[in-house]
Amino acid sequence: MNTLVADPAFWSRVQFGFTLTYHYLFPQLTMGLAWFIVYWKWRALRTGDEIYNVAARFWAKIFGLNFAVGVVTGIPMEFQFGTNWADFSRYAGGVVGQTLAMEGMFAFFMESAFVGAFIWGEKRLGPRVHFLTALLVATGSWLSGYFILVTNAFMQHPVGYHLGADGTLGVESLSAYLLNPWAFVQFAHNQTAALVTGSFVVTAVGAFYTLRGLHPTQSKLYLRAGTLVGLIAAVLVAFPTGDQQAKMVGRHQEVTLAAMEGKFKGGEIAGVALIGQPNVKEQRLDNGIEIPGALSFLAYGTFGSYVHGLDEYPQDVWPDNIELLYYAFHLMITLGTIFIIIMAYANFRRWRGKLDTDRWLLWVLLLAFPLPYIANTLGWMTAELGRQPWLIYNLFHTRDGYSKVVSSGDTIFTLIGFTGLYFVLGLLFLGLTGREFAYGPDSEIASGGKELVE
Amino acid sequence: MIATWYSIVSFMLIVYIVLDGRNFGAGMLHWLVAKTPEERRQVVAAIGPLWPWHEVWLVGFGGTMMAIFPRLLAASFAGYYLALMLILWCLLLRAMALEAGGHINDRLWQQFWDFVFVVSSFLLAVLFGAAAGNVARGVPLDQSGTFAMAFFTDFNVRGYVGLLDWYTVSVAACAVVLLGAHGATYLTLKTEGPVHNRSAVLCRRLWIAAIPLILIVSVETLFVRSNLLREGLPNPLCWVGMIVVIASVWMLVSGIRRSQEMRVFVGSNSLIIGMLATGGATIYPVMLLSTVSPEYSLRAEQAASSANTLASALFWWPVAFVMAASYFVFISRRYSGKVSVRRDTQGYY
Repeated sequence: MNTLVADPAFWSRVQFGFTLTYHYLFPQLTMGLAWFIVYWKWRALRTGDEIYNVAARFWAKIFGLNFAVGVVTGIPMEFQFGTNWADFSRYAGGVVGQTLAMEGMFAFFMESAFVGAFIWGEKRLGPRVHFLTALLVATGSWLSGYFILVTNAFMQHPVGYHLGADGTLGVESLSAYLLNPWAFVQFAHNQTAALVTGSFVVTAVGAFYTLRGLHPTQSKLYLRAGTLVGLIAAVLVAFPTGDQQAKMVGRHQEVTLAAMEGKFKGGEIAGVALIGQPNVKEQRLDNGIEIPGALSFLAYGTFGSYVHGLDEYPQDVWPDNIELLYYAFHLMITLGTIFIIIMAYANFRRWRGKLDTDRWLLWVLLLAFPLPYIANTLGWMTAELGRQPWLIYNLFHTRDGYSKVVSSGDTIFTLIGFTGLYFVLGLLFLGLTGREFAYGPDSEIASGGKELVE
Repeated sequence: MIATWYSIVSFMLIVYIVLDGRNFGAGMLHWLVAKTPEERRQVVAAIGPLWPWHEVWLVGFGGTMMAIFPRLLAASFAGYYLALMLILWCLLLRAMALEAGGHINDRLWQQFWDFVFVVSSFLLAVLFGAAAGNVARGVPLDQSGTFAMAFFTDFNVRGYVGLLDWYTVSVAACAVVLLGAHGATYLTLKTEGPVHNRSAVLCRRLWIAAIPLILIVSVETLFVRSNLLREGLPNPLCWVGMIVVIASVWMLVSGIRRSQEMRVFVGSNSLIIGMLATGGATIYPVMLLSTVSPEYSLRAEQAASSANTLASALFWWPVAFVMAASYFVFISRRYSGKVSVRRDTQGYY
């Protein structure tokens, strides 16, 4: 215990993990919402129906608040590569720095240049240019996601690099680096997951207004769009993207797959555990209930395929927290399944015309909105814990990457600082978004003098 | 190739300082130029919609520096650990003040966020000023290519120095006055009524104070880094930078005399660009000077990534830059002219 408290690498991991997890609560909603807003702006442009403009205007405000918090919590992420992970930056900066710079210059520039015009410029810009700004902001937010995922994909499955004479990495092929197959799969999986968050939030707000009996036209629109996109995204997150992601792990990170599934011993007809707790000390899965052959099939395509067990690898390449990895992965899958069930049922009720009146279902849809945030976080925990003990898979150990000149005390101090600031930031965010939801989508119309007859 | 990249990376930092520097300045002067809630909102509105666009230049700079000069990023960011964290927190607080302050129409609430806004802007000017002083003076790099610095040691400029010493404190003070003048200049251009008039008075006074301070700091720099003149003089860019500085001072003086606000604004921007460019050109190729021993200094060719990495980055950077420049045109047109305190033009008031 004492050694852990004195270990600067541990505290830098905690700080990065905390600031990153907190940060990603916001971009997942901006990325998820962006295309809803673009779609509504497009409908408004095509049909001239004011209802779509009202929806776009309302969600643009929520988007703006999320975007602002995303910006301020994102800048510390980039700084921390230098402040807390200096040795990693020295080793791999030539490669991962490229995409971080590209994220800034291609995506973030585009987003920040147009977000102000998009949120406040509707009257001045006119409908067409305003639609264009929405499109640019949405494109920027997804591009941003791509560049960050290329960076992460390099850490999961390094490609396109060369090891220089001075022992540091450089780019060998920029295209190979940017077109990392891992990045494609991860991007597809991550972006559909962001859409799940976006659609659950849109649905929940629709459900809230319906339960309250407020803004009937708008809430119908949110429920309709939210449940439809929600079902499609929830299915896509599981299949094919989640499935492909797991196969990718099985192909390139065999030991990670074994740890994710708590497979201490290798074998054919390997099962997926429905229930069970990994017992690392005894090297077995306690109370395991498995579907035989399922893991073999999912990871390698046939029920008889051989799945490697942790026992085939030396303990020093095992992910260093197998229990947490296992729970994160399994809970993510459970939540993913729940999303499909909820959204399938909601769509069924919508098809029968009962969605607006089924109070039980509306309550479920309202209360379900935190779950995608949890599932996204768990997914990232699976990716990052699964990569351990490597910072760059098979190339560079996490324990070698931290800044040697920064003491654990320095990092604990700044971690406390971040915790305090982020707490206040979170309160502000919740207060301000809560206020927007309380005002509701029609407030602008009322102040603008144009009454929307419900 | 390395010199090109050095210029590009410096350029991005300079753009950031010029753009966000005016926000630091306007923020510091917030209480002095704006007395009533309406006037305060005018100041916030002059900055409000643009701060994310300004801050992304810092992000672009950080990422590019990581890709091109990873060893510089590693040494300096870890070495300046607590100072950088303070910068981060101040940026965070400033953004919170700008975003939260205007959203709730309550006197006390806005007064509190005004306070946060003023203090964080002031501290940012101090910290960036001290950082510039540190780059000029050097840092205690040792043979491992790393350093860790206390906030202050014995206030001397040689050996195991701290973040603050007599020299860096004077640079920070100069930066506060200079960025204050820069911010006041920006406010004269963007506001009208009493805020404009107070800004104009402050603009004149601060520039009168700033120009001698810049001279003093330049002389100090030659004392602190005595071989700078010898190393910098052969570099033509250094001369270009100095000509820009002199021309800017002339623009400033003549612009203030004739009350031509646009002229002062252009002079203010080009003065900061010229100063930073001169500084950057003069210290090249030493990126981080060691105050312990010159042989431990980090030179550009040591800090740079492999040749192939630099070449591949040259593929995308110009494209990204052209795109950024086009956004710049869009933004300059969209936000040109004075802000006015009517409802819902920008949502910040």
